[in-house]
Amino acid sequence: MTGHDLEDVWRREVPHVLGSLVRRYGDFAGCEDAVQEALITAAHGWSRTGIPDHPRGWLIRVASRRLIDARRSEQARSERELAVAAEEPPDAVLAPPADQPDAAADDTLHAILLCCHPALTPESQVALTLRAVAGLTTAQIAAAFLVPERTMAQRISRAKATLRSAGATFAPPPADELPDRVAAVLQVVYLIFNEGYTASSGERLVDRLLTREAIRLARELHARLPSHRETAGLLALMLLTDARSSARTDMRGDLISLEHQDRSLWDKAQISEGIALVEHALPRGRVGAFQLQAAIAAVHAEAASWTDTDWPQIVELYRMLEKVAPSQTVTLNLAVAVGMADGPLDGLALVEPLMGASAAAHHHRLHAVRAHLLEMAGRTEEAADAYATAARLTRSLPEQRYLNGRLNRLSAAQLPD
Amino acid sequence: MKYVILIHSNPQPWGHPTGDYNAEFQALPKDEQKRMEREFYALLGELEANGELVHGEALGDPATSKIYRWDGGPIATDGPYSEFKEHLAGFFLIDVASQERAEQIATVFASPGDTVELRPAMWPGGDDQ
Repeated sequence: MTGHDLEDVWRREVPHVLGSLVRRYGDFAGCEDAVQEALITAAHGWSRTGIPDHPRGWLIRVASRRLIDARRSEQARSERELAVAAEEPPDAVLAPPADQPDAAADDTLHAILLCCHPALTPESQVALTLRAVAGLTTAQIAAAFLVPERTMAQRISRAKATLRSAGATFAPPPADELPDRVAAVLQVVYLIFNEGYTASSGERLVDRLLTREAIRLARELHARLPSHRETAGLLALMLLTDARSSARTDMRGDLISLEHQDRSLWDKAQISEGIALVEHALPRGRVGAFQLQAAIAAVHAEAASWTDTDWPQIVELYRMLEKVAPSQTVTLNLAVAVGMADGPLDGLALVEPLMGASAAAHHHRLHAVRAHLLEMAGRTEEAADAYATAARLTRSLPEQRYLNGRLNRLSAAQLPD
Repeated sequence: MKYVILIHSNPQPWGHPTGDYNAEFQALPKDEQKRMEREFYALLGELEANGELVHGEALGDPATSKIYRWDGGPIATDGPYSEFKEHLAGFFLIDVASQERAEQIATVFASPGDTVELRPAMWPGGDDQ
């Protein structure tokens, strides 16, 4: 047995084990600690004895004992040990109760709904989901977010305290809240994915861990909510984006833009799975933002090259996305697509109205997109200015290197012979 | 998003918190000094509790620093580095959700006699779009 097998098992089992405990005992924070302790026990024991036949039952049994031990030592002081002992679970905990056959199946959904409770900030929702549902260690989460472990531990324990004081429970939310709550879960899963996908060059093991977990969580959600189209859309979007990961960095680890990627390196199996999901979800009525972004990613995935891309279709999809989820990023992506479909001047016409206020107040991408379109239009001096502004504003080291590179090339081309 | 908050100051004698040794801060009425300190430490406690504070250090007297310049090889001289009156007195590394939040925090770090510099940190990631 390898450490990898072990991780696979508990990634799969953690939400079920946690869900089972919380349903039985309440007290999310206490149950979560007990599950983490059971995992540590498993890591020590299973590497010698192998994975037991029923790892879930094993973990539930050990975590229940840990929880009860913890409560006992707390409550010994208040001399209420007897009352607690009565809570010890019967062996029936090994299997789901006969009257609740689907209870275990819904545990993952309920656990992630709880971790994405509206009382928490998005950052806390992400951290708690990774810890409690994905079963990552605090050290792994801290490494992924480039902060010290102590800092991440503070965020997680603050999040648990917030849940406790908000009176959040493991019970499923009321039906009228469910759509908003599921939407929040999808946002969190996408945040996790993007953190892994955009972090460093996506080459570090811990970054692959995040993208893999996000895709796995979306798969679980899709299995629980098969007719929820935005869930399918998000899963498709992540599969199609992640399919490009081997092509997006060069030997130095620098970013290669979509335009210049070697498309033969894209993961074809993931692309077909993503496209199938998009094709299944799209024609069924109102289209959400994740489905549209997935559809756009699918058009890119099917194109042989940047110039062979079906740009009019991408323009159409971005126009729809602008109606459903308007943002400056969407408008900028639309401008790039319009620049390719109809020419750079039409693209610039979409960008110029965004150029109010002071240049420094803008996001660097506004200047980067404008620079590209100006370069395409042959307005070299203005393009150079825009590249320089974009390079000054970006926080991303690889993007800054890329933008400085474009600027240097333009400046070199301008020099008289 | 990570930011450093750099505190430039000229406490006489050099010491921390810088306000205790700054004529400008000491010129404030006592209850105003108390109010500012309470506000600052309440914020610092909040940043520590919610995990927004990554790290902070108070720095030693700039006269005790060692400066290394390059002239065909490293040439060491004694500090201070800067000819200016103000020196880097300390720094905080914060990790926050937005520029607005960073500015809100830096505003509370401002204090008479100190100059506070809020500076974004670069990150190794990026988008391929």
